[in-house]
Amino acid sequence: MAKKQTVRVKVNGVQREMEVEPRLLLVHFIREKLGLTGTHVGCDTSNCGACTVVLDGKNVKSCTMFAVQADGSDLLTVEGLMKDGKLHPLQEGFKQEHGLQCGFCTPGMLMSTYALLQRNAQPTEQDIRWGISGNLCRCTGYQNIVKAVQYAAGKLAQGGPR
Amino acid sequence: MAIRIEKTFEVQQPVALVWSFLSDPRKVVTCVPGARITEQVDERNYKGSISVKVGPSVTDYNGEVQIVRSDPQNYEIEMLGKGLDIRGRGSASMKMSGKLKALDEGRTEVTSVSELNVVGILAQMGARVITEVSNIMFGEFTKNLEKRLAAPPDPPDKATEAASKALNAGSLAWEAAKGIFRRES
Amino acid sequence: MIEKTSPEVGGMGHSIKRKEDSRFIQGKGNYVDDVRLPGMVYGHMVRSPYAHARLKSINTEKAKQLPGVLAIITGEDLARAGLAWMPTLFFDKQMVLATGKVLFQSQEVAFVVAEDQYTAADAAELVEVEYEELPVLVDPHKATAPDAPILREDRDQKSNHIFHWEVGDKSATEKAFQSAPVKASVHAVSPRCHPAPLETCGCVADFNKATEKLTVYLTSQAPHAHRTLFALVGGIPEQNIRVVSPDIGGGFGNKVPIYPGYVCAVVASLTLGVPVKWIETRSENLQSTGFARDYHMTAEIAADQSGKVKALRVKTLADHGAFNAAAQPTKFPAGLFSVCTGSYDFPSAFVEVDGVYTNKAPGGIAYRCSFRITEAVYLIERSMDVLASQLKIDPAELRRRNFIQPQQFPYKTPLGWTYDSGQYEGALNKALDMIGYQQLRKEQEERRKKGELMGIGISSFTEAVGAGPAHTFDIAGIKMFDSAEIRIHPTGKAICRMGTKSQGQGHETTYAQIVAQELGIPASDVVVEEGDTDTAPYGLGTYASRSTPTSGAATAVAARKIRDKAKKIAAHLLECSEADLEWQTGKFFVKGSPSKAKTIQEIAFAAYTNIPAGLEAGLEAVDYYDPPNLTFPFGTYICVLDIDKGTGEVKVRRFVAVDDCGNVINPMIVEGQIHGGLTEGFAIAFMQLIDYDESGNVQGGSFMDYLIPTAVETPHWETGSTCTPSPHHPFGAKGVGESPNVGSPAAFVNAVVDALSHLGVEHIDMPITPWKVWNVLKEKGVVN
Repeated sequence: MAKKQTVRVKVNGVQREMEVEPRLLLVHFIREKLGLTGTHVGCDTSNCGACTVVLDGKNVKSCTMFAVQADGSDLLTVEGLMKDGKLHPLQEGFKQEHGLQCGFCTPGMLMSTYALLQRNAQPTEQDIRWGISGNLCRCTGYQNIVKAVQYAAGKLAQGGPR
Repeated sequence: MAIRIEKTFEVQQPVALVWSFLSDPRKVVTCVPGARITEQVDERNYKGSISVKVGPSVTDYNGEVQIVRSDPQNYEIEMLGKGLDIRGRGSASMKMSGKLKALDEGRTEVTSVSELNVVGILAQMGARVITEVSNIMFGEFTKNLEKRLAAPPDPPDKATEAASKALNAGSLAWEAAKGIFRRES
Repeated sequence: MIEKTSPEVGGMGHSIKRKEDSRFIQGKGNYVDDVRLPGMVYGHMVRSPYAHARLKSINTEKAKQLPGVLAIITGEDLARAGLAWMPTLFFDKQMVLATGKVLFQSQEVAFVVAEDQYTAADAAELVEVEYEELPVLVDPHKATAPDAPILREDRDQKSNHIFHWEVGDKSATEKAFQSAPVKASVHAVSPRCHPAPLETCGCVADFNKATEKLTVYLTSQAPHAHRTLFALVGGIPEQNIRVVSPDIGGGFGNKVPIYPGYVCAVVASLTLGVPVKWIETRSENLQSTGFARDYHMTAEIAADQSGKVKALRVKTLADHGAFNAAAQPTKFPAGLFSVCTGSYDFPSAFVEVDGVYTNKAPGGIAYRCSFRITEAVYLIERSMDVLASQLKIDPAELRRRNFIQPQQFPYKTPLGWTYDSGQYEGALNKALDMIGYQQLRKEQEERRKKGELMGIGISSFTEAVGAGPAHTFDIAGIKMFDSAEIRIHPTGKAICRMGTKSQGQGHETTYAQIVAQELGIPASDVVVEEGDTDTAPYGLGTYASRSTPTSGAATAVAARKIRDKAKKIAAHLLECSEADLEWQTGKFFVKGSPSKAKTIQEIAFAAYTNIPAGLEAGLEAVDYYDPPNLTFPFGTYICVLDIDKGTGEVKVRRFVAVDDCGNVINPMIVEGQIHGGLTEGFAIAFMQLIDYDESGNVQGGSFMDYLIPTAVETPHWETGSTCTPSPHHPFGAKGVGESPNVGSPAAFVNAVVDALSHLGVEHIDMPITPWKVWNVLKEKGVVN
């Protein structure tokens, strides 16, 4: 077994430090070591996006990274979306527009669309569909997810929290 | 999964020399990275192994090579190789037929048709990866063949050692992937 | 029609937002892989690379020596406890861990238990298994050939043939074919696909040695049935087993069977006395768990010159893989396939199905459908289009001429089903109107002249859900009733538990809405729980769109029992007789004096504080509902698409779905279901296949090859509805979750064939990939 390495990551605003095996995947670091189980595992070939988190502002598939690669980074998971007990407009949007059914893809969708709205505050429907093209959903057919993002974009334009 | 590979290439050596090399499995194996002949059972049958590393995982096959047909007059040869993954994760077999033709000025044209059948985990990646990997292995083979034929003959032990470093298909896989993208772009 | 409550109460017909969403949008769902127990260890499965081979030896020495490995279970170990084989849901048995031989690639061979997942996976790599390859059978058509390898040496009958099933009137059908002036036929394959819910299967088995209680957190669509099966198969007393299905990330039928991984985890926990977690990977899910379809069908229709159908004859070959692990009611080896007369008035019909074994993963399950309904509906809708094309009758018109008419309901089909209600022409007309059918046909004509390929496909399906009545339906002997238990608290709030189990269908909201409708208690005051076998009443679970028809009905009936008792309490409080009282959502009032009333909340309080003499305290009821019949939702779907002549790519331009599921509880949730099911049907029609090469290697064993549509290629869905209530259901509802997956593949395929019919194309099998279409275009000489 390879020697453990120290990983220092800021997770949802809180500095964390831990010794991990170099081969530990970031998604397992998040779920098992940090106990944040909102980020999910849905496949083993980097296709599904259920593991999506936001790392240094970019949405990444945490199953396709090693935890040690996140050393020194800023990590945002779904658990970090709420601010002061208030839902992020995206979270509101998913509920208002029925953008989820079983909920398994939802954290990944939220993180990808969070990053999308950071890049592009007024996305078109095509922008949104491309923005979530790395996130698979089996339940919704994506149509209401698009509406959820449009809802959030509208709210943010009115001056909601980013 | 049955994959057919047809290759024709030129060797800058006279046909008799090329035949003496390619009709002897112990010599052929020196050009295949990661492969070794461990025992000659009789005139036509040999035991051997090949180690293939794809990324972090290594697959070791133990098996047999058999000369099914050898026709020195017409420079035609047929070989059959069969291997089992030593950890029980699959098997592979390859039927290869080769034909040499003398071109002028001490050049030989080699035509080979191989049918590769893979069972197990490797086969699940689909023909696209196996074909690319096979193409790259073939490229390595022909390069090594040219080198071997041009250089003075090595003592047998050194020869088998040199080629037996496990074929690192981590880089192979990367080459394969690049090959796919290059074609599709 | 249902009288709606106010939006504040949120009864039926209101699109109230879902109560379960709060935890999911915060990442606080509790899926099986989120379960963490003290001392928990992890299991990893060793699987066969070969499709058919003798198992010569398993060497676990190296693996056992890896630090952190706690146990390795093999088939031999299980055999000593009589557990190497387990019964399937359909009269067969299945190896839990292989003994003697392996029968499909990825079959379970050994189970490694270690302190953490990575060590378990490392150890699994160190297990050395010796196999001797045997000839492989992957073509079901060759299964009964004289030289076919016999797969199941454990069966008395040494053959790959599993069953032959017939239904209908053979001689009447033969006669009709002999005298019919028109005959049309099609050979259509419903290819092997996989439900692939985003959460894979798994469990945490926790045996407490001190209390002798086994708790299993399980991805289960039917927790009670699983508990009973664990008891019967494992010999553990049923009162000591608790199955908990927490949040489930999609089921679609994949989470109905019991898988070897579950059994191994339970055995490991019983042996080690600690919780054992086993979660399969996606590849394991696609390669070894319940697949769907794999039906090879030939249909023939006998008709007269005007297209009026006279008889239907069907012959089907069913590929069940290595073990018949089909999840379906015991009387139906081919499920409800005999609904294949569809929406049409066939005077006679005859159906034959033969099931065979092959070296593939076992099954099949009902993927978002009632057992084999998708295959049946696909077949009849494709066949009707073939008939229409042959007679040069417009496909909408041909359907219209043959629809079962409203006055014919309840309608008995020649294959034994009694449809409850239907208004097929209404749905067809609405869909035709929504899509602008006449205009589209004109446009198609114009485009054809220019050499462009545009297709319009119709599917007017009828299907059957809500299994089912006790006289006909049981799974492994357990009758297919379902249940609801409602308890009202003193402050007028309620808690309900049902025998079904949502995997995303929104039961926490919809069942609350039924209670709101029946009792006037706001849906927001009603808590709904499912999935814990220690607390929920017994039920057969959620699949085959059965929840609303069964537990939904039970909820309404239980609520009405409560209302009956509430009336007695109201009479006591208002000092009058029950006969003087009238009910209006949420309250009883004295006839003629509406101000003399008691709300349900006041009545609830009284049930604990001011109980009438002769009555028990409390305000609750339980109902086990035996549905008198299935329910038969229906609809018409229309697809418009264009084909690129250069690439063979099919682009869906528009898709209209008109569904009729009777009275609707939550229109928003129904619409969401339709979107999701249409997307699944789209995937099946165009991009999904679990295939095997001649060595039995799985092609399609990961998401790299088994394609799930993304938001980019998924079309925009347009939905509409008509409402024809079910006469036998307590609130006229029918169930709808599966309809889009059932009805849509035919619409897509009919549209593609329609686009190419002028070139002489009569049928193309799914999945209709660009490569397939391009080859057809090349053959017809029209590639750009």
